[in-house]
Amino acid sequence: MLDMKDVCKTYPGGNVALRDVNVHIDPGEFVFIVGPSGAGKSTFIKMLLREVLPTSGSIEVNGKDIVSMDLKQVPYLRRQLGIIFQDYRLLPDRTVYENVAFAMQVIETPYYKIRRRVMRVLDLVGLHRRAQAYPNELSGGEQQRIAIARAIVNEPRLVIADEPTGNLDPETSREIMEIFTAINEGGTTIIMATHDKDIVDSMAKRVIAIERGQIVRDEQNGVYGYES
Amino acid sequence: MNLKSKEYFIRETAKSIRRNGVMSLASISTVAVSLLVLGMFVLLFLNTSNLAKYLESQVEMTVYMEDTATGPELARVKEKIEKLDGVVKVTEVTKAQAMSRFKERLGDQASLLNALGEDNPFPYSFEIQVDRPERIRDLVPVVNGMEKVETAKFGQEVVEHLFSLTKVLRIGGVVLIIFLSLATLFIISNTIRLTVFARRKEVIIMKYVGATDWFIRWPFLLEGMALGFGGGLIACVFVDLVYHGLMARIYATLAFFPLLPATPTLYYVDIFILLCGTFIGALGSYLSLKKFLKV
Repeated sequence: MLDMKDVCKTYPGGNVALRDVNVHIDPGEFVFIVGPSGAGKSTFIKMLLREVLPTSGSIEVNGKDIVSMDLKQVPYLRRQLGIIFQDYRLLPDRTVYENVAFAMQVIETPYYKIRRRVMRVLDLVGLHRRAQAYPNELSGGEQQRIAIARAIVNEPRLVIADEPTGNLDPETSREIMEIFTAINEGGTTIIMATHDKDIVDSMAKRVIAIERGQIVRDEQNGVYGYES
Repeated sequence: MNLKSKEYFIRETAKSIRRNGVMSLASISTVAVSLLVLGMFVLLFLNTSNLAKYLESQVEMTVYMEDTATGPELARVKEKIEKLDGVVKVTEVTKAQAMSRFKERLGDQASLLNALGEDNPFPYSFEIQVDRPERIRDLVPVVNGMEKVETAKFGQEVVEHLFSLTKVLRIGGVVLIIFLSLATLFIISNTIRLTVFARRKEVIIMKYVGATDWFIRWPFLLEGMALGFGGGLIACVFVDLVYHGLMARIYATLAFFPLLPATPTLYYVDIFILLCGTFIGALGSYLSLKKFLKV
């Protein structure tokens, strides 16, 4: 699913964000990326989205070399990815339904497919009754569930989540993680950057720790390993 | 791009204009004012050029004949001049005609001419109109070489001044129109930048879910074009009203002033304004979006 070889990233100005990163992730895995703030997690995530290019090394997503990829191909790469952010990034002037349908409209899905699929995904995240609500009428947890619905509506093979529970209370975070677990059980690979010790420890999944731009730990059934 | 996408673009554009009602209104008014200024200037420029052309067409050459020239000689010279390249019209002015013209010009003081007694000092002359005023300078020596021609001349200094003046007007006008167009582009693209900025989150999300750049661009381009066209329409209405008003006033007081007629001049200016508005609107959207598409 993901293959990074000897990836280094130095930002203009000499700031080294990542060095000698080697990661292989199989389809269907659930992987946590942990580490202190500023350790390079964000750069790692941005590289998967092809928002940032590595200074050296190679990255393959879904068997495709995304480093040498033509800029015109980037949208098609992203269609195979589902992306979730800490701040949800919903459009406040659109309903729940429109927010999710939006992701299908922009890749030119026929309308009859959109309606059916959006309602199914909203059902999956437990919000099909709020389809006509606007994001500001919903709680943080509900908004994040819509963001998840939007991320998976196009059936991506890889879901990338950057601190998805960062703004949520522990109870709500657990609910969100249940949804991620369900998605993962459906065969979708999940890569999640997080600072949430409880979640990482309780899920007992693969954990990759990044410190000062380098991978310092990569273990199955791992733990968070930092003071929360 | 399939049919569904086109529907989507048009719906998104309409939605966006409605949603950003105040912003859209602000953009349209800005566009309208900028294009109004541009349109008025274009009209001013067209009329100045027209005036310059009119003044140039008034330039003619006068050929004074020697007093000794006989009737057949005069006729031969006239025929020769008429055959010259570029000569449109040759008018004979007899000695008597020249005298009476002069009398007319003197008006009340025509009695001064009595001092001349029976003498008529005015020479027999031809007034020559040419198709292009620049030709006159070359024609003068040719005509001067003809038999019994005392001198051929044109208001050399006046004409040269006129030419340099009209040249300055034309070049200056073109430069100003380019400058004004750029200023209009700048104002409009800045206004549209605000609408784009208000929707930057949407653009970023679109990028993340895999929309192609052109898919993101179309609704914004259409919006820019619609705002530009709308502003252009308003500008056209005002430009037309102002021009008609000015024409009425100028005809009342300065009837001889060679103003360009409203049709088809306004027709062309309106088309220019609308095209300009639409194009600048699209270009403004395109430029404002550029920054946000780099995700």
